[in-house]
Amino acid sequence: MNASSTTPSVTEVAQKQMKHTCEHHAECMKIIQAILDDEASEAEKDHFRENMDKCIPCIEAYRLEKCIKDSLNMKIVKKPCPDSILNTIISKINS
Amino acid sequence: MLVAMSETLTTNEYTDDLRYEVFNREFMPHIDSMYNFAFRLTMDEDDANDLVQDTYLKAFRFISSFEQGTNAKAWLFRILKNSFINDYRKKSKEPSKVDYQEVETTYNSEEASDTTYTVDLRADAVQELIGDEVANALNALPVDFRTVIILCDIEGFTYEEMAKILDIPIGTVRSRLHRARNLLKEKLRSYASSMGYDS
Repeated sequence: MNASSTTPSVTEVAQKQMKHTCEHHAECMKIIQAILDDEASEAEKDHFRENMDKCIPCIEAYRLEKCIKDSLNMKIVKKPCPDSILNTIISKINS
Repeated sequence: MLVAMSETLTTNEYTDDLRYEVFNREFMPHIDSMYNFAFRLTMDEDDANDLVQDTYLKAFRFISSFEQGTNAKAWLFRILKNSFINDYRKKSKEPSKVDYQEVETTYNSEEASDTTYTVDLRADAVQELIGDEVANALNALPVDFRTVIILCDIEGFTYEEMAKILDIPIGTVRSRLHRARNLLKEKLRSYASSMGYDS
């Protein structure tokens, strides 16, 4: 047996300080969404900064919310407006 | 004797030239976004075509109520959304449409259970989904929930702009968006698991 197997690693120590449950997760979800939408108040930003590096459920929720938001924005195909609509509009406002 | 014609014009009135100029400069650049919004609301190409045309013709007719320098895109989206509610929603071909009021009431009454609400979905599973799958999950939402997600996440409107477009208070924008995202996560989770991704 070497010493390293009985001594907790740095990540293990870090994980012990992490919160595995969030007692105000519903409130945190609202804050996380406001942060991602760039609509958070100063109080919400403060709460986010204080909690985000030590609460595992919130870190995971942030990753998920960001991933969904990015997917909606970048993956959904945006179709160009058909020329026929454009032409009809132009001819109608000119008549 | 010369009559000062300009005295009969208020500052808000547009000359014919100005109407066309503002229309082209402020309104036309948003036509692709408007078309996509119309399509995602109606889920029907013909209805989307009609809705975009109607909206642009209304915008031209009522151009004097558009204040230059304000957000033209939000102004146009508001007209489109009102036209959709007044003219298209009634004859919507969308099957098994959920009554929005009913959904909102249900969700409000479940506010308590909402506090512990989590959907078992991982970011990695979402990352695997392709655009069509994300779009299908979005399209499966009742139209009012779909709308807030489109406005916020696809079109990038602020909460304040959304409140104006939808004629609802900002607090309602926030809570509706929150509920819409919970519903979307449920849809995405069923997509992810049906595609065999580990959700």
